[in-house]
Amino acid sequence: MSFLLTCPNCGPRNIYEFRFGGEVKTRPDENTVSAEDWADYVYLSKNVCGVQKEWWYHAKGCGTWFAVERDTRDNLPVVKEENEG
Amino acid sequence: MMKKFMDRFRKKGRQDVRMWHEHPMKPAYDAVIVGGGLHGLAAAYYLGRDHGMTDVAVIERRYIGYGGSGRNTSIVRSNQRSKENIPLYDEGLKLWPELIGELDFNLMFFNCGNLNLAHSEAEAAGLKMTVATAQIMGVRSEFLNARECKELVPHLDITHRPRYPIYGGMYHPPGGTVRHDAVVWALARGADRLGIHIHQLTEVEDILVEKGKVTGVKTDKGTIRTPLVLNAAGGYSPTVSTMVGIDLPVTVLPLQALVSEPLKPFLHHVVSSGRYHAYASQSLKGEIVTGAHMDPWPSYTTHVTAHYMKHQAEALMDLMPCLRGARFMRIWGGLTDMTPDMAPIVSDSPIGGFYLDCGWGYFGFKSAPITGRYMARWIATGNCPEILKPFSLRRYRNYNLQRETAAVMYYTPWN
Ligand SMILES: Cc1cc2nc3c(=O)[nH]c(=O)nc-3n(C[C@H](O)[C@H](O)[C@H](O)COP(=O)(O)OP(=O)(O)OC[C@H]3O[C@@H](n4cnc5c(N)ncnc54)[C@H](O)[C@@H]3O)c2cc1C
Ligand SMILES: [Zn+2]
Repeated sequence: MSFLLTCPNCGPRNIYEFRFGGEVKTRPDENTVSAEDWADYVYLSKNVCGVQKEWWYHAKGCGTWFAVERDTRDNLPVVKEENEG
Repeated sequence: MMKKFMDRFRKKGRQDVRMWHEHPMKPAYDAVIVGGGLHGLAAAYYLGRDHGMTDVAVIERRYIGYGGSGRNTSIVRSNQRSKENIPLYDEGLKLWPELIGELDFNLMFFNCGNLNLAHSEAEAAGLKMTVATAQIMGVRSEFLNARECKELVPHLDITHRPRYPIYGGMYHPPGGTVRHDAVVWALARGADRLGIHIHQLTEVEDILVEKGKVTGVKTDKGTIRTPLVLNAAGGYSPTVSTMVGIDLPVTVLPLQALVSEPLKPFLHHVVSSGRYHAYASQSLKGEIVTGAHMDPWPSYTTHVTAHYMKHQAEALMDLMPCLRGARFMRIWGGLTDMTPDMAPIVSDSPIGGFYLDCGWGYFGFKSAPITGRYMARWIATGNCPEILKPFSLRRYRNYNLQRETAAVMYYTPWN
């Protein structure tokens, strides 16, 4: 169990400094997507019970957005992913 | 006296005094319910009671009541925000006295009334709208000013000292609390007596589908053939839906609650404040039962945090300064299956025979028996009862979300 998350900029920090930014999904092409598929993209989640790839935002810190793989069973980050400034 | 009781106990045999029994798992059932929480048990009970469907199995991975049903803070009320939601909760609230008689179990229904506080003119305006909706729907609800709030709950601090001074409140006399564990046990006993099988320590690992229809479930104790499956897995409802390839508009978040040491009776209502993210009631044993902090990131942990204890202590002391110095005794966490519109998913699905009763988030205790009753009707007859129509899974694709929140909840940095 962990209550730390590693910001690519600030290093390991208390997880309450961060905001969850949603699961990493593939954004459909807005020009061709149907209304139903757009709703699915907006609302549906996988809720993996295990390792999933997510967006996080260092809200009470440096403001960096980053993707990370985290295990939802113990809050442990798995691999640090790319930094999307 | 004790000897006489023990003799009777021995004569009857251990099996007879148990509230529910173990059965060998059959290779086929008419219906399988995934999850031995209140929603699953209620559906099972009413399938038997109202529709003569007793060849039903409730499959529970741990023990009945292991999920939210055994972890909630037992608050019941029917002053929801939207006219589509109120009828179900209203019927649900009125059902408790009936259930106590019918199940022959003291569910400790304590209709002490709920007071939901506003801390600004804008919040008061929002609550007044909710009050008006309730009144139109025939549900007792009224708006009180700060002084009237204090008359109702004398220990509230209505001065300007608190960080968020109390402006007024929404008072809902018929709500209160119900002993949640007792409801689990009573429904399990009721279902058991009707001949329904409850299989504890049994995990549903997969759901079998052929030509778009459910044909069975695979458990760690063997495979069961069945044409009907109800997903009542609470926090694990997304995991169970994934077994048939359905993603849900759900975010699973852990919620924490606390109880204090027993105190002399002083709080005779359920008091809540959205602004402080806190609510409290006093149990009949004297403990202050209080929630609820939700960690705003998904997880399947039932952790508890110092962060929350501090938050809760500060909030309660600000609202009711007499609580300063009272000690917390226990803290625990549970999973909530939150939807973006704070309304449940009680629905059929694109897979034939696969039904959903989930998305109940942190508010699904109060509605469990009534929802089980209507869900059972739907499963048994194949026709969706009118009262459940607003809760279909299709509403998200149709952009017809429920209006239980003023804005859609999306667990991102922007809310
Ligand atoms: C701290 C807290 C406070 C709350 N307070 C209130 C309140 O005051 N008022 C209110 O109305 N609501 C409250 N709630 C919400 C309420 O507890 C839930 O909405 C409700 O209990 C949901 O019941 P359920 O039967 O759908 O799910 P659960 O009770 O969670 O039952 C689901 C069951 O499914 C089992 N399961 C999961 N996966 C599988 C599988 N694969 N195979 C077999 N079994 C499986 C689980 O072990 C679990 O026992 C609170 C919740 C929490 C956590
Ligand atoms: Zn940072």
